[in-house]
Formats: sequence, C-alpha cells, structure tokens
Amino acid sequence: MEKILEEDFRIVGCEDSDKNAVVTPTITYMKDAWRRLKKNPVAMISILVLILIALVVIIGPFIQQYDYTFIDPAGKNQLPNAEHWFGTDSMGRDLFTRVCIGARVSLLIAVVCTAVQVIVGAAYGGIMAYFGGIVDNIMMRIIEVLVSIPYLLVVILVMMVCGNSKGSLLLALCLTSWCGTARTIRGVILQLKSSEYVMAARALGTPASKIILKHLIPNTLGILILNTATSLPSYIFQESTLGFLGMGLQPPETSLGVLISLGQTSMQFYPYQLLFPAGILVLIVLAFNLFGEGLRDALDPKLRK
Amino acid sequence: MLKYIVRRFLEMIVTLFVIATATFFLLAAVPGDPLSDRVEKLPEETRINMYKKYGLDQPVLQRYVTTMKSMLKGDFGESIRMPGYDITRLIRETMPISARLGIQTILVGVLVGLLLGILAALFRGSWVDYTIMFFAILMISVPILIFALLLQKYVAGDLGLLPVIGWPSGSEQWFGGWEYTVLPTLSGCFTYIAMYARLLKTSMLDVVNQDYILTARSKGLSEPKIVFRHLLRNSFIPVITVLPMSIAGAITGSFFIERVFSIPGFGRYFIEAVQARDVSIVLGQTVIMSAIYVVLIFLVDILYTLLDPRIRLSGKG
Repeated sequence: MEKILEEDFRIVGCEDSDKNAVVTPTITYMKDAWRRLKKNPVAMISILVLILIALVVIIGPFIQQYDYTFIDPAGKNQLPNAEHWFGTDSMGRDLFTRVCIGARVSLLIAVVCTAVQVIVGAAYGGIMAYFGGIVDNIMMRIIEVLVSIPYLLVVILVMMVCGNSKGSLLLALCLTSWCGTARTIRGVILQLKSSEYVMAARALGTPASKIILKHLIPNTLGILILNTATSLPSYIFQESTLGFLGMGLQPPETSLGVLISLGQTSMQFYPYQLLFPAGILVLIVLAFNLFGEGLRDALDPKLRK
Repeated sequence: MLKYIVRRFLEMIVTLFVIATATFFLLAAVPGDPLSDRVEKLPEETRINMYKKYGLDQPVLQRYVTTMKSMLKGDFGESIRMPGYDITRLIRETMPISARLGIQTILVGVLVGLLLGILAALFRGSWVDYTIMFFAILMISVPILIFALLLQKYVAGDLGLLPVIGWPSGSEQWFGGWEYTVLPTLSGCFTYIAMYARLLKTSMLDVVNQDYILTARSKGLSEPKIVFRHLLRNSFIPVITVLPMSIAGAITGSFFIERVFSIPGFGRYFIEAVQARDVSIVLGQTVIMSAIYVVLIFLVDILYTLLDPRIRLSGKG
C-alpha cells in the first residue's frame, strides 16, 4: 500500500470560493411584477396613451393662447377647423382649450381623491386590523354606518353646504370613498398579523406605528396599487355624472362632466360638442382600465405560470 | 337555521334604523330649512301655520322622535315639494316604471353577459376570448350616460327608428309600448353585460383548475357533463353574490337613464327631493332602497347553501 505523505496535502482555503455567491440577482415581488408588466404590450400602449394625454392636456392650452372662459359672440358653434381644432361651443369658446382644461380638472380630481382614498384607507385599515378587539369593533361599526348612507345623498348635501367649488367636490367624493379600501386592507393585514416577522418586530419592542408602516403596509402594496388603478377611472366617471346632474363644478370652472352636460344641450345640431369631451373621457378611462388589467395580471401571483 | 334567520332579521332592523337616523340628521345638519324659499312672500300667520304643519317649528330632537315614531307605523309624512304626495303614492306611481326598466335591463344584461363569459372561458386564449374581453373593457369604459346620449341622438334622433323620450303608461305599463323601452334598456344593460362576462370568465378559470374537475375528468365524464354539472354550477357562486346588488340597483331606478329619456321613475325623484330637502320623501326613498338591498343580501346568503354544500350557515357567523 502506498504511503500517504503529509506533503500530498495542502490547504486549499475557502477565501477564493464563490459557491455561496448569489449568481442571479434577487428579484423582489415588485421588480418581478414590473418585469412582467413590461412584457405586456396592451398595458404599455395604455400607459403611453395616458402620458400623451397628460402632456397634451398640460401643454395644449399654451399653443394657441385661447382663454377657456373667453366668449366670442361672433364665432359661435364653429365646426372643427385650423384655428379651433375642436371647434367652438355655443358661446364661441375654443373647445380644444376647454377640453384640455376640463380633462386637467377631471384628472386632478381623480388623482387627489384616489390618493386620499388609498392613504386614509390603508391607515384606517391598518390600525383597525393591527389593534383588533374593541378598536376593530368600533372602527368597523363606523365604516358600516358611513357605507350605509346613500352616496348621492352625501355628495349632494356636501355640495349644498360647501358650494360648488373644486374643494367641496373633492371633499364630497372623498368623504366615504376610503371605506372600501380600509376593509380590504383590514382583511389582508389580519392575515399578515400573525406572521413571524411581525412577532419578531414586536419582540424587539418596535412601536405599533412603525410595525404598521414599515412591515404591514408594504406587504399590502400590490393590493393598494390595484386599488389605485381601479379607483382612478371610477372617480372620472363620478365627476362626469355629477357634472351632468348639475351638481359638479359651476361655470366658469369646467371639467369633462360639465363639458359633456353642455354638449348634451347642443348635441342635436352640433354633435361634435358632445363627442370631443366624451371621446377624451372614454379614451382616458379605457387606457386606465386596460393598464389596470395588465397590472392585475402582473401582480396576481395566482396567474403566474 | 331558524336562529340564524332571526338574528339576521334583527340585524336588518338595526341597519335600517341606523340608516334612517343618519339620513335624518344629515338633512337636518344642512343650514336653512326646506320651507324658507316658499313662504318668503306669505303673511306671518300663514308662515307659522306652514311650519307647524310640517312640524318644522319644533327642535330637531323632538322632530326626530316624531318622525321615527310615525315611520314605525309606516307613515313617512307628506311631501313638502309636492303637496298631496307621500312616499306611498310616489312608490305606487313610479316604482312599477323603474322596476320594469330594471327587470328588462337585468334580464338582457345578465343573460348576454353570462353567455359571453361562458364562451370566453371555453375558448380561452383564442380570438373569441380576446374579442369578448376587449369589448367588455370598452363597455365599462364608456359611462352609461354617454351610451344613453349617443343612442338617443343617433338611433332615435337621426335615424328616427325609435321614440326619443317617453315611457308607456296606463294599461301598457307592464306589457306593451316596447318601442319606448328599447333604448333605455340597451343603454343600461352594457354595464351588466361587461361585468357578468368578466366575472363568470374569471370564476370559471378558477374552477377549471380545481381538483374536483380533474376527478370528474378522470372518472371519464363527458365534456358537456363536466361543464354543466361541475364547472358552471361552481362558477355561479360569485355571480350569485353580486346579482342581488345589481337587481336592487336596477329596480330602484337609474338616475341618468331616467333623466336622459324623461322616464318618470323612482330614481329621478331622489335627486330632486334631496335638493329640495324634502325630508319625508328622502327618508322614505332611502329606507325603501336600503330595505330592498338588505333583504336581497339576506336571500342570497340563504341561496348560497343551496348552491354550495360547503357553506353552512351558523348562528355565530
């Protein structure tokens, strides 16, 4: 038998070894979702359309320098032409400028209301679910009462008391809208609450506010994003229907809803006055909905293959 | 089961009470009162009498107690805006109109929607699926209001195929006068078509991956039997959840369709009544609408057990 000498052995060491190195970068849930979203052509086109509309709506009124409240008695009801791209309305106001301003207001209302809804809803739902017990019970009852009052009644009354300004419209739309979000978030957090990482955080003495903000809410992000995507178009809808019922903004202020209701009065002879604002509204909502659909596919782990 | 029904019934009463209370105080919280415009030019004594007639001379809490007491007897009081009317008369005159429109809308919308949903799920991934789903998204992206206005202008106005506004009355209230009902029904049903097509498709795709479908298939059941016996039956559970909400929403009237087509329905009066702060009518309409919702939700919970043997009702909930 061959003799084994000590010289046959040498220390290889483990310094150079990269067996434990991470070869593929870790992909977080959000990165993964984003990667899948990028592969979805419909969602990408929708977001492009939305960006384009936003740009036109912001820059548009500066190109031709019309004032959206400027009344030109000589140029009433002009059909779309080179000077007035969307024509003029029954008071000779440039319809393109008005549609831009109106869409701006509608988008602004949608974005602000959605932000309020998501932030208040997440905070309320988070607190409700985290503390549980009697806090949960009381906060849940408050939601039940708020939800049971007819939505239209609240909106009309707020508009009556606070006047027809942008602020009161925002208030009216936001007042009870967060309840749905709060309920959804509550449901999710109730499940997350018993996770080990929450227990660990609690054992370390982390204050409740930090646990909710740093640990629980980030884990509901997917649901919150979806909530945002579905809420944006619904607020544009709500604003337009209120405008149509004459309960939205009052002239000279304008929005897509106000323009549609003005367009309705002259649609028999000048249908373009209805079709332009209505078309823009449908385009915005359609883009939001298609994007939301893509987002849901990207975020929903159930659909992963 | 009996225990459950009794508990739910009590809960319904409490809910309706809370809704009525909240509505009452919301209306009372708005500054001013519903009479001030109308009695401005009347002599002092008449004015005082008017206030007395509607009980508006009393403090809010007193009024609340009186209103609630008479409400228990089913008396909501006389309308302020339309003298001689009370909620019972309003319901008798306008509810059948809204109900007929609602029933027609739901029937067309839900049936077509479910059919499209089944088609989309059975041919998933094919052009049939994509076309149906694209049109479904398009339909929910167009507000009912715009559908109604466009149909009114082009089909009724320009082409002159159907009447522009109006609604059958008298002996034709329930059957007949169909040409008046086509456009309002059409404008209302698109939302339901889109909603139910999407809902049923999603639900069917969920069920298709369940183990019991695999079992059915491995037992050698024929494809139609799997689809109708197992797939559809289980896919209908989410549909049943939202259906009563749709029905309640539809039969209590659509504000927009009724306004666009000048239909004297139930929903149209609500906005007018709130704006005029016609307390008795607003309270009456709110309570009736909520009652319809609550009762329908209750019925659904019972219906669940019949559809899905996995769900059992318990006294505790």
